Amino acid sequence: MIKVMRRSRWTAVALTAAMVVTAAGVATPAQAAPKKLTIGFVVHVIGNPFINQIIEAAKMAAKDLNVNIKVTGPAGAEGDAQLTAVQNLAASGVDGIATSVPAASMVNGLNAIIKTGMPMVQFNGLGVGVKAPYVGEKSVESGRLLGKMVLDKIGGRTAKGDVIVGNCFPGFPVLENRQKGVLESLKKAPGIKIVGPSDVKVDAAANFAAWQGLLAANPDALAMVGLCAPDVESIGKVNAAKPGSKTIGAGYDLTTGNLEALANGTAHISLGQTPFLQGYLPVYVLVDSIRNKIKINRARFLDSGTEIVTATKVVQPFGSAPLTFKKLQKMSASNKKTRKYYDKLVKTYVKDWRKNLKPISEESA
Amino acid sequence: MSEKSKSKRFKFPEETSVIFALLLLIGIVGAMRPNFLKPENLLNLAASYSISALLAGCIVYLLAMGEIDLSFGWILNLSAVVAGLAMIAGVPVWLSIILGIFAGGMMGAINGALTVLMRLPLIIVTLGTASIFQGISLISNKSGSVVPTDEKLRSNIFFRTLGGDIDTPIPFILIFVVFCFVLLHLTLHKTRFGYRILAIGSNPEAARLAGIPTKRIKILACTLMGVVSGIGGVLFLGFRGAVDPSTGANLLLPVVAAAIIGGTPLSGGAGTVWGSLYGALIVGVIGVGIVFLGINAVWSTLVTGLVIIFAIGIDQIVRVRKNRIS
Repeated sequence: MIKVMRRSRWTAVALTAAMVVTAAGVATPAQAAPKKLTIGFVVHVIGNPFINQIIEAAKMAAKDLNVNIKVTGPAGAEGDAQLTAVQNLAASGVDGIATSVPAASMVNGLNAIIKTGMPMVQFNGLGVGVKAPYVGEKSVESGRLLGKMVLDKIGGRTAKGDVIVGNCFPGFPVLENRQKGVLESLKKAPGIKIVGPSDVKVDAAANFAAWQGLLAANPDALAMVGLCAPDVESIGKVNAAKPGSKTIGAGYDLTTGNLEALANGTAHISLGQTPFLQGYLPVYVLVDSIRNKIKINRARFLDSGTEIVTATKVVQPFGSAPLTFKKLQKMSASNKKTRKYYDKLVKTYVKDWRKNLKPISEESA
Repeated sequence: MSEKSKSKRFKFPEETSVIFALLLLIGIVGAMRPNFLKPENLLNLAASYSISALLAGCIVYLLAMGEIDLSFGWILNLSAVVAGLAMIAGVPVWLSIILGIFAGGMMGAINGALTVLMRLPLIIVTLGTASIFQGISLISNKSGSVVPTDEKLRSNIFFRTLGGDIDTPIPFILIFVVFCFVLLHLTLHKTRFGYRILAIGSNPEAARLAGIPTKRIKILACTLMGVVSGIGGVLFLGFRGAVDPSTGANLLLPVVAAAIIGGTPLSGGAGTVWGSLYGALIVGVIGVGIVFLGINAVWSTLVTGLVIIFAIGIDQIVRVRKNRIS
């Protein structure tokens, strides 16, 4: 009996070792070149279409700047798991780290890493108190803009009726800021009754089910306003399933599914937060600061801008070239086209990043 | 060989194969990335995974009883929120800590009482209570992070010790968790309460007929899980300096996996507290190893799952063979 157990356990150990070695074999090819700079890039969730756009842009920056990039992050958004990933990257000897900061519990840990001299940049999710520059949108302001656009669509300050607001991740600081802005704008119409904000979940299937339930419970709602990437697509599907629905659908991000909902008229407004800049700029800032010995251990704000998209109009930030909706749709499905479109921005706004640094308070102004 | 000499022969502890697997994993990652073997890195790794290890050490009690708790992550969260809000409200830090742990114990007791009263498996009861605890936490923290930022609070020995402001050769949280493991091990294997848990897990009906107060033991075991989750929450608050609405959300898989990899069967009747510690470290080394080896993020979840399933599967094979032979 003991022999059998021993044999099985030894087999287990040997196979575990084999799996780890095999796993090492799927390491990114860039890992092989030790003399290049290596940048760690940590996102708060893997497998989200919007986050994928950021990751792709970060990889484009790494390619342009001839550095290695290690992308990692937890499967589900959870601050402690993400902080552990950042700590692991720091211990593995990367030269700089870009990370989103979705949780306040990450702040002390990140500052401890910065204190050791590790250059760091935050993106997409701001950690208040982290001593590193932040690349992201003006979250409250973009919420105000979305709220105003929705209000304009439903009749302005004299509008009367229900507006459903959904937050896929209550407590996530950037989303709370957007929500604040949206509600601020909608409150300008005294006849508007806000339904929610409801927890509409981040998972695509659960998100759809939540919006479906909300519209079923409030069939005469004037508008449905989401704050996260899966919302516009879900709202579009819910509207499509209700023939004759006049409910306005609005939300965030320019994923392929969201643009499709705008194109077929089942959703109406989506604000982008320029994922290209949120991925490209942090890597650029890190590499530039390491190569030119620029200290970046202060909380400063680098605006990634807000893109305003409806089926008939596309407004891009920072004087980028005009873009039609169809071109935007094609671009969202092609990294090559995305990189080409933003080339002018890379040569101006990105290159001059030091001139564009603003006080961190402007993020939530 | 006589029976006497057989009994005197040295027996490796049950956890030997897990320890060996852990050392092997450390060795492989270390051989490929020598930075990994730096003592400070290994200690930080252990400290990062110490809270989930502590929970794994306690969930062994429930697994040994043939039960499983799905709510401990949210008990941890709500306990930390209670402690954090109490501190912000001006309650002395030591009293806030006790309040947090007490809240955890109460939540555990509620789980146990509901299981006994409703005559339902703990897994079903905690499916509901997990959501309730999460909901109460979100209402209490107004869906935001709880951050005791007051300078007076931050300079308290609790935050300075756990947060690493006071330099110790070994992180304090690690020392504390190892101490808890000693207590959990002794309680499970050297006390009547522990024996009763194992007896209930082995054969609940026989345990009841033997006069073991099964209902009381179930409530006590759930309360213990709540207390330990509460301790975990308070440790988290001190270690990270804040608690977020998502804290604890993703603890279920790594904690249960750690206990099972460590050698505690889901079927009940047996359990190893120390094994769960090594199991937690294996889960940790897999996570850290993936980063050190530069495995693409898209692959990392798959690799983690494969290694965990593999380890559990092999353990099960060994167990089945052992049962067949005996």
